Amino acid sequence: MSRGLLPVKNVFEEVGVMMILTVKTLVSAVKPPYPYGEELVWQFLFVLKLSWFPLVISTFALNFGAPGLQAAGILSLIGGLDRLGGFFVVIAIRWIGPLVTAVVVAGVAGTAITADLGARKIREELDALQVLGVDPVKNLVVPRFLALMVITGLLDIFAIVMGLSAGIAAELLYHQSLGGFFATLFSNATITDLWSSVMVCTMFGAIVAVVCSYKGMSASGGAAGVGRAVNQAVVISLMAVFFFQFVVSSILFATNPELQAVR
Amino acid sequence: MIGWLEVPRAWLDSFGEIARFGVKVAGQVYSGRVFKFFGESVRQAGILIFGSALIIWAFVFILGLQCGLQGAYFNRSIGAPSLAGLFSAYCDLREGLPYAFGYILAAKVGTGIVAEIGAMRISDEIDALEVMGIQPITFLCATRLLGAWIAIPFLYLIGIGLIYAASYFSVVVQVGDVSSGGYLLIFWMYQSPPDLIFSLIKGMVMATVIVLVGCYYGYTASGGPIGVGTATAKSMVFNIVAVHIIGMLGTVVFWGANPRAPIGG
Repeated sequence: MSRGLLPVKNVFEEVGVMMILTVKTLVSAVKPPYPYGEELVWQFLFVLKLSWFPLVISTFALNFGAPGLQAAGILSLIGGLDRLGGFFVVIAIRWIGPLVTAVVVAGVAGTAITADLGARKIREELDALQVLGVDPVKNLVVPRFLALMVITGLLDIFAIVMGLSAGIAAELLYHQSLGGFFATLFSNATITDLWSSVMVCTMFGAIVAVVCSYKGMSASGGAAGVGRAVNQAVVISLMAVFFFQFVVSSILFATNPELQAVR
Repeated sequence: MIGWLEVPRAWLDSFGEIARFGVKVAGQVYSGRVFKFFGESVRQAGILIFGSALIIWAFVFILGLQCGLQGAYFNRSIGAPSLAGLFSAYCDLREGLPYAFGYILAAKVGTGIVAEIGAMRISDEIDALEVMGIQPITFLCATRLLGAWIAIPFLYLIGIGLIYAASYFSVVVQVGDVSSGGYLLIFWMYQSPPDLIFSLIKGMVMATVIVLVGCYYGYTASGGPIGVGTATAKSMVFNIVAVHIIGMLGTVVFWGANPRAPIGG
């Protein structure tokens, strides 16, 4: 194979191996026995304690700046500041909520998972586990996978709450009453918006967990190796999450005409 | 097990340390001491371009697709599909590109710098530099900062071109509610050269902070191979929050008082 095509081949290989790990994880998650209960709770709390602060700051800042001030600026020019609520359904619930949650979870919890698993790999603890007859996928990857899926879905709710409060802050900055904001918010929001947001975010959690676990477990090369693994893990997770979001929202909009109605 | 307030406390702690470290590094660039190693700076700029440019642009392109998609459907839902260009113009230039740039720069360049310099610290190469009489902060950190300042404005400007193309693709080709001419008319009407400069300033501030944070965590890494991984993860935590705060402050400063839209008198 020519040298120019080598990166393409590598990408396909990586994606294939990650798919295999996903399937392995899913199978060993549902197949008894279930020895990972304690680790699952531990990972859940670990991710929550790491992520809540970056998530709260990030979603508030992003929603206050991008949709809040920019849209409120233009809406105040045309005298329709009450429409900001309807705009926030699109931005905060459908789009930025899941996306920023995924970015924060990938950057904060995903990197921690890769660093942790990578350190174990470098210290040959994973090999030791296998020699002892303990399956690393079942005991290390599955709890992280499940914990990250659940926590990402739940953090999405917090992201939406913080995003809407940022919208309220922008509305108050322009000395508007909040009645119009809430009226357009609730008349535009549908159940589809909410469940699709949480569902997509749960899948983001799964993507981040698989990518970060895989990169951690395949770290090699001493001191630089773990750092490089973290670097690759977070880049791949972000790319995958953003691309996945584009595909999912294309499908969602095309198949749910009620999202496009005028209200 | 970490405590609930561990991350905010660590963030505030390292904020002061990073600020001091960053001023020191930027001082090395401004005082011109870095030009002793100008070749190294250019090499770092080259590494940035060849190693990261494609990934940065791909990421920016995907965000452009999303901007266009969300804008097209939002404008359809309010009954003004021909105004999708307004949403795209704001989303692409003012907000989307700086954030996308910040995310992927933090992920690719920031953590890359931590992994590289951290490995040097662990294997005592930084001490060796000092013994040889070369200032490690100048040689490792200031050159990377200068290299980023050389390369990143151009990466950013090409990114603007790509994000515009992506939004055009998803609004006009994929959704197709508005004609090409109608889209471009509104799209170009709602932006002006100062917007581009402001957006570039936002992106450059993010890039500077990300490079400095990367240098700081790499330079102060400790604790063997595991320490490098932990430092890399920590740099990402800091960068995520920093990128969002810079983005918000940039919006407040540049567009908060004046939306700069061609509406009204």
